[in-house]
Amino acid sequence: MATVTYLEAIRQAIWEEMERDSRVFVMGEDVGVYGGAFKVTEGFIHKFGKERVVDTPISEMAIASAAYGASLTGMRPVGEFQFMDFISSAHSQIVQILAKSNWRWGAPAPLVLRGPSGGGVSGGPFHSQNPEMFYVHTPGLKVIAPATARDAKGLMKSAIRDNNPVLFFEHKFLYRRVKEELPLEDYTVEIGKARVHREGRHLSVITYASMVYVAQEAADILQKEGIELEILDLRTLLPLDRDAIRATVEKTNRTIVLHEDTKTGGIAGEIAAIINEEAFDSLDAPIVRITAMDAPVPFSPPLEKAFLPKVEDVVREARHLLKY
Amino acid sequence: MATKKIEAPTPASPESKSQSVNGSKAMPAHTGAKSGQPPVSKNPHGIPDWRLEQLPFHIESEWGDGEYRYKIVGDTSAPVPPLRPSKYLGKEQTIELFRYMIVNRRMEAALESMYKQSLVIGDLYQSLGQEACSVAAAYALDKDDWLGPMIRNQGSMIVKGYQPRATMMQYMGKGDSPTKGRDSGSHYGDPKTLNVVAPISHLGDSIGVLAGVALGARLQGKHVACLGYIGDGGQSTGPTYEGFNFAAVQHLGVVLVVEHNSWAYSTPVELQFACKDLADRAIGYGVPGVIVDGTDANQVYDAAHEAVQRAHRGEGASIIEAKFMRMKSHAMHDPAQYVPAKVKEYWKRRDPIARMEQYLKEAGWMTEAQIAEMHAEVERFINEERAVAEAAPMPGPEDAGTDVYFDNAVDIPVKYGEVRVKNANKNRKLSESSAPGHYK
Ligand SMILES: Cc1ncc(C[n+]2csc(CCOP(=O)(O)OP(=O)(O)O)c2C)c(N)n1
Ligand SMILES: [Mg+2]
Repeated sequence: MATVTYLEAIRQAIWEEMERDSRVFVMGEDVGVYGGAFKVTEGFIHKFGKERVVDTPISEMAIASAAYGASLTGMRPVGEFQFMDFISSAHSQIVQILAKSNWRWGAPAPLVLRGPSGGGVSGGPFHSQNPEMFYVHTPGLKVIAPATARDAKGLMKSAIRDNNPVLFFEHKFLYRRVKEELPLEDYTVEIGKARVHREGRHLSVITYASMVYVAQEAADILQKEGIELEILDLRTLLPLDRDAIRATVEKTNRTIVLHEDTKTGGIAGEIAAIINEEAFDSLDAPIVRITAMDAPVPFSPPLEKAFLPKVEDVVREARHLLKY
Repeated sequence: MATKKIEAPTPASPESKSQSVNGSKAMPAHTGAKSGQPPVSKNPHGIPDWRLEQLPFHIESEWGDGEYRYKIVGDTSAPVPPLRPSKYLGKEQTIELFRYMIVNRRMEAALESMYKQSLVIGDLYQSLGQEACSVAAAYALDKDDWLGPMIRNQGSMIVKGYQPRATMMQYMGKGDSPTKGRDSGSHYGDPKTLNVVAPISHLGDSIGVLAGVALGARLQGKHVACLGYIGDGGQSTGPTYEGFNFAAVQHLGVVLVVEHNSWAYSTPVELQFACKDLADRAIGYGVPGVIVDGTDANQVYDAAHEAVQRAHRGEGASIIEAKFMRMKSHAMHDPAQYVPAKVKEYWKRRDPIARMEQYLKEAGWMTEAQIAEMHAEVERFINEERAVAEAAPMPGPEDAGTDVYFDNAVDIPVKYGEVRVKNANKNRKLSESSAPGHYK
């Protein structure tokens, strides 16, 4: 066991996969000698050569489409978006070319597009977004958003080994804040499986990425009042783990869906629909959504604090739901 | 024209050879039917222009009778020049290429008749007048090379190994079509054996894909040529720039054939871009560019051949601008009344198949009777293909939602070989990142 950050976990995963499989290579802006804006690929170019650590022009469309083109020759590219906000510049390539590829013309596209998403760092409206739902709405893709270092590493390995286009949303707030003991041996975490982050009897908080820690703080506070929260970390957003969602709702009969993404069209609505389909009879109270405001992500700290879901919101809504 | 500099023709390199993807024998450099190459001119920016005539007119919009319409400015009466003799194509190859052009045309004529009988689902896109460009460019590719067609390049897909029935079944939404009825028309491809990237509607998106294919192949130690087409309208898109610039900066063997067919749906080139020659873009990208007459299969082939050989040598990307005319409307629903009649008359006299027939006869390579027999033989072939396509079943409902994901239990092999890199410090261990990252 060794203590590593969320960021190091991702670095290790890509490094180890590149060592294991010569078909894996990385491409993106500033990923080579500089090692990437967040240093995920620091040192990679010296180890693997400039052919396997490709510095690209500032061209997100080219990153997505060329990664895909390379995957058609059997390569397994890992493309970096410097910030996941810039994935919008490659939206057409991802949803039109990549996502439909296997279905449309039998061309599997084993590639990963990854990068930092999320707020809490005063990144402003163009460096803090959570654009995952555009892609959760796109059949043919897989969408991952881990909360822990262990999951980040194991899921990154699974993503690279997967035969389909995988979008990997890392959370930049967690990069250097989350530190965990990780196994030294090779391991993977299965895509499409949620994880019970904390067991509890009274109320389920279904969440993912940095909001797992908001839920955890709320759980600590509520514990003192005798309220036990169960926290379900989705980890994969597409495909969603319907069984895990049903199981936790059947266990606690009360549900909060918490996410950092904005409310309208966020995954909470989808999860509420799944609960409706799978576990309606188990509900003792309405499903509550706690999300960011329906607004762009603001820059200044007081504004961003107002925008993001908070521990107090979870505590308040949990108390309310338990009285329902 | 008098101010134009004249450039000596590029000599054929002795080792250059062209191989048809359909397996015809490698041919030595050939001087063509006639000995001697007419001189090559250059455009004002120094781009070689292989054409034997300049377009003597352009389109302007005019206001008259309370309406806007397009009018022609200039003269359309110029006589038709002969084909430029090919530097590389010998008799057998020229005849094979000619046959592909006839297959292309007769397949589309059959499709039009099927459309009129309501056998085609949706709309039909045709390439009348553009067959030389589709066919001759693709004819320059080897088997290992890749093709990135657009909607009108149905002829190029036949050169790369598909049968006409494939396109026919696609248009009819048949279950046996390459996409099992999931997509239409020329929207199909094959990453395994024929190396054709299935077009998507979004114009320009295939160019970055072709760059990636070349990148992947190069990582596996193989310099492939990836030849794609883009229209005079499609080249205006952002992905065209990003994809091709990436190919240029990485010296990837993308051969971009810009099909300057004068119209993009209803929009004339005068409203699409401000430069005169799209091959000028090559200067900005830092790659070689050349202008050819898109109705002259010899020019198209020679330019594509040179660009493909350059790609095979690992020297990078090229642009070929082919100038010609979309002789049909955008698609069947469109009567294309916006095109001034004289434009069509001018280009009708420059029909690529008629010009090739003239060339073959003058070279003594085919007689009138042989040409007529080839047309008849292709007609029979197309009728057989049509019968097969029409008899094919429609898809079952089970094919709508399957194959959205590919099986993870199947290993996807590399296409060309082991991945190699030149310089790498294999013994280096991963050390914890110490450098500051963006944001705290
Ligand atoms: C990005 C994008 N925008 C719009 C369209 C709709 N569209 C399809 S073909 C076409 C005209 C294309 O013109 P051009 O590229 O010159 O090709 P041509 O039809 O002349 O062969 C348009 C506007 C599209 N396919 N893709
Ligand atoms: Mg056009």
